[in-house]
Amino acid sequence: MQPTEDALVFIVDDDAGVREALAWLLRSRRLPSQSFESADAFAEFLNADNRAWQPSQPGCLLLDVRMPGMSGLALFEQLIERKLLELLPVIFLTGHADVPTAVDSVKRGAFDFCEKPFSDNALVDRVEQALARSAQTLQSLRSKQDLQHNLADLTERERDVMHLVVEGLPNKLIADQLDISVRTVEVHRARVFDKMNVKSAVELANLLRGE
Amino acid sequence: MAFSVGPQVRRWVLWGLLVALVLSMLSILVWLAGRYEVSQVQARIERDAADAVSDIRTVLTRNVQSLQALQYADRSAVPWEQDAHALVREHREWLRLELRDVDLRVLKSIDTPFRVPVFNRFGRAANQPEVVQACGVARRQSGPGYGASTYVPQADGLGLEIMDLCLPVITDGQLTGYTVATYSLSEILVNMVGPQLTRSQEVSFTESDGTRLAMHGTVRRGSRVFIAKHLLDLPGHTMVLRMDSWRGAPDLFPNVLTALVTTMAIALVTVLIMLARDMRRRQRVELDLADALAFRKAMEDSLVTGLRARDNEGCITYVNPAFCEMVGFDSKELVGRGIPAPYWPPEMVDEYGQRQALRLAGNAPPREGVESVFMRKNGERFAVMIFEAPLINALGEQTGWMGAVLDISEQRRVEEVSRASQERLQATARLATVGEMASLLSHELNQPLAAISSYATGSMNLLKDAALKDPQLAETLSSAIQRIGQQAERAGKVIKSVHDFVRRRDQAREPVKPRALLDDVMPLVILQARKLGVQVVVQCPTDLPAVFCDRTMVEQVLLNLSRNGMQAMADDTPRKVLTLGVRPAASNATSRWLEFTVADLGQGIPEGVSEKLFTPFFTTKEEGMGLGLSLCRTVVEQHGGFLGHRPNTPHGTVFSFTLPQS
Repeated sequence: MQPTEDALVFIVDDDAGVREALAWLLRSRRLPSQSFESADAFAEFLNADNRAWQPSQPGCLLLDVRMPGMSGLALFEQLIERKLLELLPVIFLTGHADVPTAVDSVKRGAFDFCEKPFSDNALVDRVEQALARSAQTLQSLRSKQDLQHNLADLTERERDVMHLVVEGLPNKLIADQLDISVRTVEVHRARVFDKMNVKSAVELANLLRGE
Repeated sequence: MAFSVGPQVRRWVLWGLLVALVLSMLSILVWLAGRYEVSQVQARIERDAADAVSDIRTVLTRNVQSLQALQYADRSAVPWEQDAHALVREHREWLRLELRDVDLRVLKSIDTPFRVPVFNRFGRAANQPEVVQACGVARRQSGPGYGASTYVPQADGLGLEIMDLCLPVITDGQLTGYTVATYSLSEILVNMVGPQLTRSQEVSFTESDGTRLAMHGTVRRGSRVFIAKHLLDLPGHTMVLRMDSWRGAPDLFPNVLTALVTTMAIALVTVLIMLARDMRRRQRVELDLADALAFRKAMEDSLVTGLRARDNEGCITYVNPAFCEMVGFDSKELVGRGIPAPYWPPEMVDEYGQRQALRLAGNAPPREGVESVFMRKNGERFAVMIFEAPLINALGEQTGWMGAVLDISEQRRVEEVSRASQERLQATARLATVGEMASLLSHELNQPLAAISSYATGSMNLLKDAALKDPQLAETLSSAIQRIGQQAERAGKVIKSVHDFVRRRDQAREPVKPRALLDDVMPLVILQARKLGVQVVVQCPTDLPAVFCDRTMVEQVLLNLSRNGMQAMADDTPRKVLTLGVRPAASNATSRWLEFTVADLGQGIPEGVSEKLFTPFFTTKEEGMGLGLSLCRTVVEQHGGFLGHRPNTPHGTVFSFTLPQS
């Protein structure tokens, strides 16, 4: 899956030279980026206006391990706590000294780590893959949200009919069970399919199973 | 000394009183003994006088019977004269026997043959009144009667005291005459008083007014006379028998002898009592001495310090059990041994001998002791500390040297181990510092290299797009930019290889008990703590699990933090306490952690310093490199842990870091 055009890469590194170089590299591959000079600054960004950050676009975080103030690892812990790793995959930027730490982080859910200095386009390739993961997560999140939204639109009677349809009962039995006419069942069924944006009972069942 | 005179004077007075008392007692004793002797002598002489009187009385009575026998004999067979003559020969006390008629006319008479007839000179008639008086008594009593004694002068100028005995002759109830016997008083004394009585004393008859009539006995001797008088009461006449005994006054010498014996007896008893008391005191002292000896022995036996005494010739006179145990020789093997001592290593004998000679010359060893090497029985050498002091006896003369010997080999070994461990830790510290520097350098160089590399890659990306316009230029630029990237990568590899070389030991991780980590660094921490006057407290529960870590590196962290903590407590800090602690820390799902803390009571970390604390080459110490905390953080982060700090209460700082449990 190709990353969407509106994806955004966050760079957190205390070294301005590295930040600018990375931004320039990403731009050369048409990837927009936003730089932060410290983990604290990024944490602040996440909590801006006292509101938890809600991603509206796929993203990925290039995180330096060793920085003054809050370390990259501490920030990583925060992200784990807020369950943001899927939405915002983390790629650690490490020196040689931090390799064991970085390996350990990958075990704990980091997307990858890249040793400085970087070679070729490997880093950018990994960034793109991370963005794809993020986009996928975002997509499934959105579809889930849509489903919830659609379900909320159903009336009570429509929901009853839907559950029975998903169980695979024919219209006649549904009518008997709900003590309504077969015609009414058909109307409800058509409206459910319309509201849930599906064409068949099988599709509806698949959708609900993902819930 | 004025106050000590009092008791002394009083003691002399007491002694004087005692002597006076004994002397007066003794004189009384002597006096009483004399008196007793006198009374004894007096009693004996009284008894003798009574015996003499009794003897005289008995003989006089027997004489009367002899006369009666003469009277009543048959005169037809033997004439009166014959019997009378026989009687007179028998009784020397009689001077004359007479037979008289009722009118006291002399019918027959016979004189004693042992002397000249007494009445030849002045005639018998001169004594007629006494005869009349005696016969008057005899006639009245129809028994013997005695007349008063009279003095009859003799031709030789002397005279005799005589006494007449008259016995009536009764024939058929009629007085027909008288028999008169004339006694010589002196002969009475001679013949009738036992010779044993007159041997040592003088016996005499006296009138009741004391006029001496007759006497018999020894010549006078002695200075004191004892007199006894006894009445001789005869019918018709009474005399006094007087007995004079001359004796030396009771002799002083025997009594003094008695006194002496008494004195000696008293002295003996006194000496015995004093001896008993002395014995008791001696026993008590002996008991005390035994106690003191036992105490001393217990003290010597309990000592771990070896004690050794030597006389002035260097000969061992005493060793205690600790010394024997130290050198492995029995005390029997040591005592009495001279130079060289059995525990001297053979190779040192010369040196020790010289030292000994110096000692004997009177050079006292230094008070703080001398270090030396002794040899055990099994040949093992060991270092000792010897403290020697002169041995002074009760007379104040030096009799030798007493030495206390401490086995310092164990101390030496511990010092050695401590020094080795210190060296090892210092070597590790140096290595760690180099490693940290390499790490920092690589980090600092990697940053620009990363930037270069990024720019190169970016440029390559852009060139791909631009290649369509000018392929020739793009080709040339592309190869140049590629080289830039390659060179940056090469520089990175060089740094990495240096870093890896230094950090080769990174993988040496093992499970270690937290207590073992603390125990390893404790000797060094305490060494420094002692120097800075800091008290070190360890709070480490024994049941904590092991941590998985690089032991030497974590020890470096602990050492660094401890040193920082101790240096943070300046001289004016009231309580210098450094607390090292370990406790379980917050855990997450995948791993459990232990938190190590190093807390000091210093001034705390100033605001501005706090931010730069972990920055490499930042330091507040004059001689510091500024790598300590940076290194600590690297080590902790390599273990996946976190190093942080927070203020301590009431003041000071707590550094804490976490390590994973194994």
